[in-house]
Order: sequence, then C-alpha cells, then structure tokens
Amino acid sequence: MDLIANLAHGFGVALTFNNLLFCLIGCIIGTAIGVLPGIGPVATISLLLPITFGQPATTAVIMLAGIYYGAQYGGSTTAILLNLPGEVSSVVTTLEGYKMARRGRAGAALTVAALASFFAGCVSTVLVAASGPLLTSVALSFGPADYFSLMMLGLIISAVLAQGSVVKSIGMVVFGVALGLVGTDVQTGQQRFTFGIPELSDGVGFVSIAMGMFGIAEIILNLEKPEARSVMSGKVGSLMMTREEVRRAIPSVLRGTTVGSLLGILPGGGAALSSFGSYMMERKVSKGRHEFGTGAIEGVAGPEAANNAASQTSFIPLLTLGIPANAVMALMVGALIIQGIQPGPRMVEAQPDLFWGLIASMWLGNLMLLIINLPMIGLWVKLLAIPYRHMYPSILIFCAIGVYSLQNNVFDVYQTVFFGLFGYLCSKLRLEPAPMLIGFVLGPMMEEHLRRAMLLSRGDPMVFVQRPISATMLAIGAIALIAMLLPNIRKGKDKALQE
Amino acid sequence: MKLNTKDLLSAGLFIAFAVVGLWLNQDHNLGTARRMGPGYMPMLTFWLLIGLGSFVLVSGLFNGPDPLAKWSSAEIGFLIAGALAGVAVGMVAARIPGFPSSGWNPLGIGLFVGCLVAAVPPGWRALFLPSAAFTLFGLVLEPLGFLVAITLTVICAAFADREHLERPLGVAGLIAFLCVLCWAIFIWYLDIRVPLWPQI
Repeated sequence: MDLIANLAHGFGVALTFNNLLFCLIGCIIGTAIGVLPGIGPVATISLLLPITFGQPATTAVIMLAGIYYGAQYGGSTTAILLNLPGEVSSVVTTLEGYKMARRGRAGAALTVAALASFFAGCVSTVLVAASGPLLTSVALSFGPADYFSLMMLGLIISAVLAQGSVVKSIGMVVFGVALGLVGTDVQTGQQRFTFGIPELSDGVGFVSIAMGMFGIAEIILNLEKPEARSVMSGKVGSLMMTREEVRRAIPSVLRGTTVGSLLGILPGGGAALSSFGSYMMERKVSKGRHEFGTGAIEGVAGPEAANNAASQTSFIPLLTLGIPANAVMALMVGALIIQGIQPGPRMVEAQPDLFWGLIASMWLGNLMLLIINLPMIGLWVKLLAIPYRHMYPSILIFCAIGVYSLQNNVFDVYQTVFFGLFGYLCSKLRLEPAPMLIGFVLGPMMEEHLRRAMLLSRGDPMVFVQRPISATMLAIGAIALIAMLLPNIRKGKDKALQE
Repeated sequence: MKLNTKDLLSAGLFIAFAVVGLWLNQDHNLGTARRMGPGYMPMLTFWLLIGLGSFVLVSGLFNGPDPLAKWSSAEIGFLIAGALAGVAVGMVAARIPGFPSSGWNPLGIGLFVGCLVAAVPPGWRALFLPSAAFTLFGLVLEPLGFLVAITLTVICAAFADREHLERPLGVAGLIAFLCVLCWAIFIWYLDIRVPLWPQI
C-alpha cells in the first residue's frame, strides 16, 4: 500500500504545472535530438545542465530524464524512414525498420516502435518504483568497504561493456578518477594538483569535461566527415498495423522489455547495449526469424521496447545507490550534486519528491511522447531539413553561454576548449570518453569510502574480501574482467557491438 | 611489424600523465594505509595507470597494425607552429598592461591565436576553427557583450564549413536567429549576469 501512496504523492508532484511543462519540454527536446543525427542525449544534457540550475532539483531531473528517454523515441523515426540512426541505440532499428519502410509498411513500423516503447516505458517505470525502496533498504546496510567495492564493480563493468579494448577503457576510467582528484582534499583541506589556480580548487569543472568531450569533440568529428543525408523516399503509409503484425509483435515486445530492463540496470549498460541484445535474441528465438533481413516486425518491436526500458531502469542504480550506470547518469549525478543533493541510498527517503516525482513523470512523459510522436511524425521528419552547418554554430553558442554562466568565469570556457581538443584526440586514439566521465564522477566518492573503510579496519585491506557483500562485488568484477580477457568471449562482444 | 600506433600513443598518454602526476604528488603527505593522507589515493591511481599503460604499450607492439591517418607535412608544420605561436603570444600578452594581461585573457589570447594558426591547412579547419570560435566567445564576452560575442563566434565557426562561405546571407540569418533565441532564453528567462552591449 505504501507503494500506491508514494506513487500518488509522486503524481501530485509531477502534475504541478511547472513540472508538467518541463517534462514536456524535455520530451520535445529529446525527440528532436533523437531525430537529428550528430547530436546525442549526452551532449544535449551537458548543454542544458546550466539552464537547469535555476529550477528546483526535481524539475531539473524530470526535464533531463525526459530528454534521455525522449531521444529513444525520436531515434527510431529516422532509423525507420531514412535508414539513418538518430541515436546509437536505434542503429539496430535501421536493420529491419528501414526494410519494412521499403516494403511500404513504414507506418506500421513507426506505430509498433512507438507502442512498444510506450509499453516498455510503463513496465520499467513500475520496476523502478518497486525496486527503489527495496534496494535502498539493502543499500543502507552497506559499509564503506561495500560501497567501495560496489563502485569498483560499476567501473569495471562500464569499462568491460564499452566499445573497443577493455584495458584502454579501464585506463580511461582511471584517467577519469585521477582528474577527479584535482581540487581540495576533503579531509585535510590541502590543495591537490591545482597549480595555484583558484578556479581548480573546487575540482575540474564537470560541465566543462562533459561539454568538451561530448559536445565540442562531436562537432569536430561531424564536421570532418562530409554530410550525407538522404531525402525521404516513399510515403509513411497507414499507421495501422494488421492483425498479423500485432500478433507477431506482442511476444517480441515482452521479450524486449525484459532484456532491456535487465541490461539497463547493469553499470555500463543502457539503451544502446540493450537494443543490440534484444535484436540478437529476436533473431534467434522469434517466430519470424527467417524473415530477418527483409523487414521483420519482431526486429523493430523488440529492440525499440528494449532501449526504452533500459533508458528508464538505468535510473535504478543512480536513484538507489548513487552510482551512475552510464554517461547520461553521470551527468544526472553532476546535476544533482550541483543542486546540493548527494545521490545515494538516503535519497529515496530524504528526497521523496524527487524520487517519486521523477517516477510519475516518466510515466506521464511516455504518454506525452506517444502523443507527440505518432500523429506528428511528419513534423519531426521535417527537422531533418536543417543542415548540420546551421546546427553546429548553434550548439557551440549554447555550450559557450552555458559553461560561462556556471560561475560567470571565462576560465571555464577555456577549460572546455581543452577538453574538446582532448576528446578529439581520444576519439582518434580509440579511447572511450564515457568510462572517463563515470570514473571522474565516482573517483572522489571512492576515495572517501576507501579512506573510511581502511580507517575502520585499522589499515587492513583484507576488509574488502572479509565482508560478504564487498567480496561478492569484487568477485563479480574479477569474473567479468577475466571473461573479457578470454579471446572467444571478447570476439563475441566485438561482434555484437559492431553489428 | 605489427605496431599498433593508436595503442602505443594511448599508452604514452597514460604513462606520461601518470608520471607527471606522481611527480606532483610528492608535495602531498601519503599517510599510512590506516590514516590515508591527501597523497595516498593519487599514488594508488597513478601507479595503476602506469600499470595499465604498460600493458597497453606491450600489447600495442603486437596487435597492430593500426596506423593513424596520414598527416601532410603542412598539417604537422602548422600544428607545431600553432602551439608555439599560442604559447609565445600568450606570454607576450601577459606582459602588456590593460586588457591583454587582465584575468584569464593571456590564456584566451594564446589559445585563440594558436588555434587560428593551426587552422591554416584545410585538414585542420574542422578541428581548430570551432575551438578558436569557442575561445573567442570567452575572450570578447565580457568587454564587448553578449550580442557581439555571439556574432563573432558564429562568423569564426562558419569558416569551418565550406558551404557557409558561399552563402553569407545564411550566416547572417543564423546570427540574427541565435541572438534573439539566446537573448530570450539566457537574458530574459534565466536572467544570467552578462553585459548585453559593449562595455566601452
């Protein structure tokens, strides 16, 4: 009964005019950037972080969350109509969705994508609501050693699941942790690695890193390759699905929702990974598997359900444990910390408005997305007429004003340029920026827990393997690492991520 | 040879960063494992990074070849020239009284000039012109105000795309649009403290 009372409270929060408005704004922006290739949710959220500071924390998080799951809706539109994935998570949708469009079933593909997303969104929202208090009560029994190991596990898995070399990704995580050390030491007040620069005593700017490595570096990379944008051919056709299509799509949606919900919780998981996972599964088990490659509706329904489910369940580790599962969640941590809220297990109790309001808003947001997407599909496709040469100066300007307005200091602007150049270098060297951002966010927390754990254990590092929770986490982490070093599994992963 | 250039450079980056970090970390008290000082965690982190870097280095000797894209001699030359020019101009600016040396302006001026010089070869324009434009914004925002900063930044960034040069009217339209939009969002709605017009 608690759950219902809490949810009712959440709806009370989410249904206030301001929160509804910002949920809608988030969903609209999310759909727009989902449709537009060349700008993703990570860049957009870091771009809009400064704008959210004037808002209450709940409103800010509601809007940012809307951008993330809204992008999953929007990404599928261009994937189906133009064979052009607006987001990484909709790459697999192009495989079957575009084929369906070529067969004249574009309307049905769009409908099934939107309905599958909506269904998955509703289910995973309930999952977030149910698991939140449960996991929180578990998390409250965690000691500092357990926390340290949990974060270690999160970092390892996020590196293992990142694209490319695992060792290089772990290197980027450690790089991020090292960057996170810059600033004032919390316990002694000593300045570390600040070179006497007062601006660095609060640490390297989180927003500068995110905007530089995801915003500016992405602009540069997009400008380097010539623009290739196809024009839509053919018509959308009827949005109605045939009875046969409905019958085939339902089991896929259910499977996709399950796969997505599970993979979303994993650190390093999230929308992209789960849509791949679901596609692989549909190709193996669905009834229409022999049709794959020619426009099977299962190949649209499953991944679309999965990526939306995952984009919502990836909030679970953040809201209950304070651990970001992917780069978008790392940005949410940044947003919360700047608002003065330390994410962690006490958040559900200490910030009921935020937790339950966010959950209720997710459900409302999914409903809004369904309405903004299906009937207005033509409008969104028109967005593609905006050439990138008009987009990138606008993104630059928004980044610049946003980063300056953080502290009214031009140092942050120059810092962002450095991270932009660094992000470009990283992409040329195939170093992943996302693990670095997660390492940067978790680094300071890890240091604090490590110090506390070692103080409690009187300097005995065995505490990490003696406590059962901590030992389990470390064991899982070790298994994941060893598994990735085995050539067979690694090849399987590379294949799965490339397809 | 099966050298993996990308891995070798990544390893170099990791190790160099960690060595510099360890060297700087000498200033900090390590403490003991029980009572860790400010230097303990950095020490662990940097040694771990050296270890990972060495692993990448050794495996990079065998798992290639994975070369970087070829750079032309002009690209290499102007990259070095840009770096040198940036440092030199920044240092000179720091000695000129008034605007060039106040606050973070030497850094901004150096960065801007460096990026502009490096953007001379066409291959670098996509990389350095947006960076220069971004720096320019920081440089002119406070003295010349919000609207001028937007205008100059868009103009500078526009040079990164060939098509803009053929359609100057499109750039003008973009500037007008962005000025109105940014004014509405940042000044009118968010009310950030920024001069709107030149401060002279």
